[in-house]
Amino acid sequence: MIEIQNVTKAYRTDTIETIALHNMNLSVPSGEFLSIMGPSGCGKSTLLNIMGLIDEPTEGTVSLAGKPITGYNGKQIARFRNEQLGFIFQSFHLINDLSVVDNVELPLLYRKVGGKERRRLALEALAHVGLSNRATHFPNQLSGGQKQRVAIARAIVGRPNIILADEPTGNLDSHMGDEIMDILLKLNAELGTTIVMVTHDERMAKKTHRLVRLSDGERVS
Amino acid sequence: MFRHLLKLMWNKRRANSMIFLEILLAFVVLFGVFAFVFYNMDRYRSPLGFNYEQTIGIRMDFDDELDSLAVIELQNRIHREMIAMPNVEAASFIGPVNPFGGNTWQTGTEVNGQQIRTQMLFADYRFGETAEVTMTDGHWFTEDDMKGKYIPTVVNAEFKRRYFPDVESIVDSVFDINGEHIVVGVTGDFKYKSNFAENFPLTFYPQMERLGEGDPYEMMVVRLRPNTMAETEEDIFNLLVDNTKNTEVVIWSMAKDRNKANRPVMIPMVILLVISGFLLINIALGLFGVLFTQINRRRAEIGLRKAMGATSGQVTLQFVLEILIVTVMALLLGAFFAVQVPLLELTPIPGKFFYYGILAAVTIIAVIVLLCSFLPSRQAAGMHPANVLHEE
Repeated sequence: MIEIQNVTKAYRTDTIETIALHNMNLSVPSGEFLSIMGPSGCGKSTLLNIMGLIDEPTEGTVSLAGKPITGYNGKQIARFRNEQLGFIFQSFHLINDLSVVDNVELPLLYRKVGGKERRRLALEALAHVGLSNRATHFPNQLSGGQKQRVAIARAIVGRPNIILADEPTGNLDSHMGDEIMDILLKLNAELGTTIVMVTHDERMAKKTHRLVRLSDGERVS
Repeated sequence: MFRHLLKLMWNKRRANSMIFLEILLAFVVLFGVFAFVFYNMDRYRSPLGFNYEQTIGIRMDFDDELDSLAVIELQNRIHREMIAMPNVEAASFIGPVNPFGGNTWQTGTEVNGQQIRTQMLFADYRFGETAEVTMTDGHWFTEDDMKGKYIPTVVNAEFKRRYFPDVESIVDSVFDINGEHIVVGVTGDFKYKSNFAENFPLTFYPQMERLGEGDPYEMMVVRLRPNTMAETEEDIFNLLVDNTKNTEVVIWSMAKDRNKANRPVMIPMVILLVISGFLLINIALGLFGVLFTQINRRRAEIGLRKAMGATSGQVTLQFVLEILIVTVMALLLGAFFAVQVPLLELTPIPGKFFYYGILAAVTIIAVIVLLCSFLPSRQAAGMHPANVLHEE
């Protein structure tokens, strides 16, 4: 499903070159719930960004759904992100000026989906995360856990095959973190969505199918 | 997408209120300035109705002891001698209202139960030829017309338009304005105050040589051959001093007088246009500043939208549309108030100039907003989602 081959990511300035990922190889089969762990700065988020096509590798290839992404233009990559990928971020990244349901509709705005259908799918996604009653609220009226549930609804509204979650429980207390983890596990189990999750929490990582550890930009397990 | 943006803009209405207000105020100012400028440019473009090029105006003083017949005889002699000068093409006596002189003589009378108000210019039978007055009907009064029963009179087109709109021709009509007058001709537009003057009903008729009474003409209009003004002025001055035995002779260029007469409108117009120019620069810079600030504040949102599948073009379009929505709202409100000016006839200026003003203000503001929003929006579109999401 996701194939990372010999991927290296280097950040260069005039004087310094920093290697964030070095010769990384990783394969995530369809339907797997994979967690990635490692100390801060080891390249976890960089790896996730490269998998999510919001960053490009300096070297190596990324294949999604069996297709190598090399040579895709900006529009094709944007379309691929929109249709195949869902993102969940540690800091939620909700738009405060939009209501909960409008936030959830966001990925569908970049597809040919009519207004009514968009609204129906967004409400369905909110129901999936147990937030139907908060549809017309604004993000600043929600708790951290509720915000992350909105972010999950936004990630699944377009029915993507892959969800990439960057420390989704990182800003939440353990109780709320468990709630979010339960939702992700349910999504993986019921819908067969492939999930790649970056986490610092060993407890959460143990709930996933497989754990990959990184250190200094390299895979150590 | 459009509904989504409308919703977003509505929810951010407080943040957008200052841009809204700025655009609304700019519209109001530009609308007023453009309506004023268009109206005056239209006035400027409409014909004066006479020729002022290569023409001089002369003011002289006749001996108070001379009776009217002696003055007429003296004036005829001056005219004969002047017209005999090689550089003089035509000359006539006028007074006391002269083109571009700033004087007005107005009277009112009732003709066939209709109240008529007209400004009057006194001129001799040679004025039509000297000033090359454009005639639309009949002719300028001639020496022969002077011998008739009625005072030969020429009116302008506005006189006919306003008071006799349904009559095909008013030539040969007789009416009473300080005596019985017969209309012998109708001029076209005739704007003797300045290029920006309104067309007002005018009546031209001879003064003393026909009536044998009243003050003598004290002014002359003299048309010279091209580029002879400087060399002829002194000869004319000497001729007049010799004949009138009086050195109180003033000679001026009518072209310069016209420029002077145009200044009271031209200068405010230029000042208003310069102020409007600065206002537009101010709006442009303000929009740049606001948009760059807004985009910097919304870096995470831009990153998010791109991660969700927005293309660079869609991000650019979003920010351009956002500012356009605010602009359109402000312009709609401004235009709503602006159209009340012609609809309620709040000023004597014809309504079309206000509509032109609205159109010009809307177009210029829309173009500036589009230009100013494009660059910051392109900058937003160029943001790398991984970087901006990571910064947050």
